[in-house]
Amino acid sequence: MIYRISMLIALAAVASGCVSTSYTLVAPGATALEGMQVNATSGWNQAPPMHTPSMRKGAALWTHDGPLLDQLIIIPGVADGEPLMNSRDKSAALPLFKKDMLPNEIEELTESTFVKYFGEGNAAVTTKNLRPQRFGEYRGVMFDVDATVSDNPDYRGTAGAFVANDKLYMMFFLGAVPHYYDKHSAAATSVIQSATLTGGSNVPVSN
Amino acid sequence: MNQTRPVVLLACLVACWPAFSAEEETLDHRIPPGYEPVQEKDELGLWMEMREYEQALKQSALLVRDEDLNGYLQEILCRVAAAYCKDFRVYLIRNPNFNASMTATGMMQVWTGLIVRANSTDEIAAVIGHEISHYTLLHSLATLRALKKKLATGTFVDIALILATGYGTGLGQTMAALSVMSFSRDQETEADLLGMRLLAEAAYDPHASYGIWEKIIAEEEAAEVKREDPGAFGKTHPDAKLRAAYLKELVTARYGPPDAEAVADQRLLSVLNNHYMLLMEDQLDTNRYGRTKELLERHAALGVEPSLVRYFYGEMFRQRGKDGDRDLAKSAYLHSIEGGRAPAKSYSNLGYLYLKEGDIENARTYFAEYLEIDPDASDREMIEFYLED
Repeated sequence: MIYRISMLIALAAVASGCVSTSYTLVAPGATALEGMQVNATSGWNQAPPMHTPSMRKGAALWTHDGPLLDQLIIIPGVADGEPLMNSRDKSAALPLFKKDMLPNEIEELTESTFVKYFGEGNAAVTTKNLRPQRFGEYRGVMFDVDATVSDNPDYRGTAGAFVANDKLYMMFFLGAVPHYYDKHSAAATSVIQSATLTGGSNVPVSN
Repeated sequence: MNQTRPVVLLACLVACWPAFSAEEETLDHRIPPGYEPVQEKDELGLWMEMREYEQALKQSALLVRDEDLNGYLQEILCRVAAAYCKDFRVYLIRNPNFNASMTATGMMQVWTGLIVRANSTDEIAAVIGHEISHYTLLHSLATLRALKKKLATGTFVDIALILATGYGTGLGQTMAALSVMSFSRDQETEADLLGMRLLAEAAYDPHASYGIWEKIIAEEEAAEVKREDPGAFGKTHPDAKLRAAYLKELVTARYGPPDAEAVADQRLLSVLNNHYMLLMEDQLDTNRYGRTKELLERHAALGVEPSLVRYFYGEMFRQRGKDGDRDLAKSAYLHSIEGGRAPAKSYSNLGYLYLKEGDIENARTYFAEYLEIDPDASDREMIEFYLED
């Protein structure tokens, strides 16, 4: 539902002509976002904030062929007791991050967040292949996601996450199957696995 | 809780009771079995649209194609629909919420959330009888016609107001929308009344027609996060408490009080036991712990396989994570394992709980058992990491 409302708000905003519709280019190389850094091997397009109202402050949505077909979402610094995404619906019952979460719980947090993102009841989401992954000096996890969404293509994806200084850093990629997942999965996985903690705020590190 | 609400509901029930009773006696199917539209253009158009929708629905990945589950629903459908049986197709949709719907063409959708919430096959039959009534009472067509008429009137009112005042208020359209919702609530009441009769005629327990609503009310009261209430005028369906109250009055007056002894519904139990993981994992993903707990208490009382119910108690307590929940989760997993039919995840999640407490020995024990039970587990690499760490 969050996803649908986001799209409707974005469409309304675009139709009214009051916001910029332009995506900004994310050049290959290192990019910093609110205390974390990722490294892209290819260029991506970052959605403007008005197109992504469900994103937390500091989070970013990158895409190659448009968010309906592929999206790489990077969510830096989720503090204890906070959700991974925003919702205007007070009854949404978004799952909350807890600083002592173990890998299985981070996987469940992501699965339940995806259900809310696509609309409770509109999507069946499963995760699998939970495995350890190192993000710089931090231990983290990766796992795979399958999402069946009403009136949307089916999605497959990969998620990576680590906890540093009691905050969660989460990256996930979703691509429509089979074509768009296969097309962008390697580039997205490379960005996810490159994530590390750093200073700065959403500016290319190379500048 | 709003203290005035029960009084208002009671007053409404007393005021409406004679009307409900009289309406129920005269209410009957408006089309014969095998009905197809031949003349009216709007109805033909509606059927064409709905047939296209049905074709699309058949491709949906959210459709549950399991033969056992679909056979169960089809069996109930045909028993309640009787001579109309061949007019319907039932589709089970993977959605953990409570709902069912019917189109003008006889395409019925039932959400998996209904099966999870029913205490008996009779309660599922009650919902199906209600949906069948929407079809035989031609409600979709009546809604389409009412919508066209009311929106046209609303537009006329809005234009007149603009001409008179110079301001566009949208008042006419708002009034039209509220009027359509009121019309929809009247249709729901009609379907409740005819559905109740169909249920009894099919030799299901007519008391189930309000029993299912009592379950929904209990679940809402147990919810930690309440659903947003659209207000009395914004609802397309009557208030659940009002529905339960008028159906209880009518059923008791017509068929006498319910049986004192409840008999275990083996058919429903078999369906729940065979498909519990699919049904409850989706419920768990809603992150609505109060509701999930209420459903689990109901399933335990019904006699659903204890190892499965206890596993989901463990999942619910562990994910909720309130003070004391960790101990409750551990106890639930251990009971699930003792029961002998615990899902493999009972072992790994118990291992994680011990790990969190720093009890490495127990964590290792349960992680190792998990891999023994499920050597092909997709998270094997993660578990081995902890075993080796």
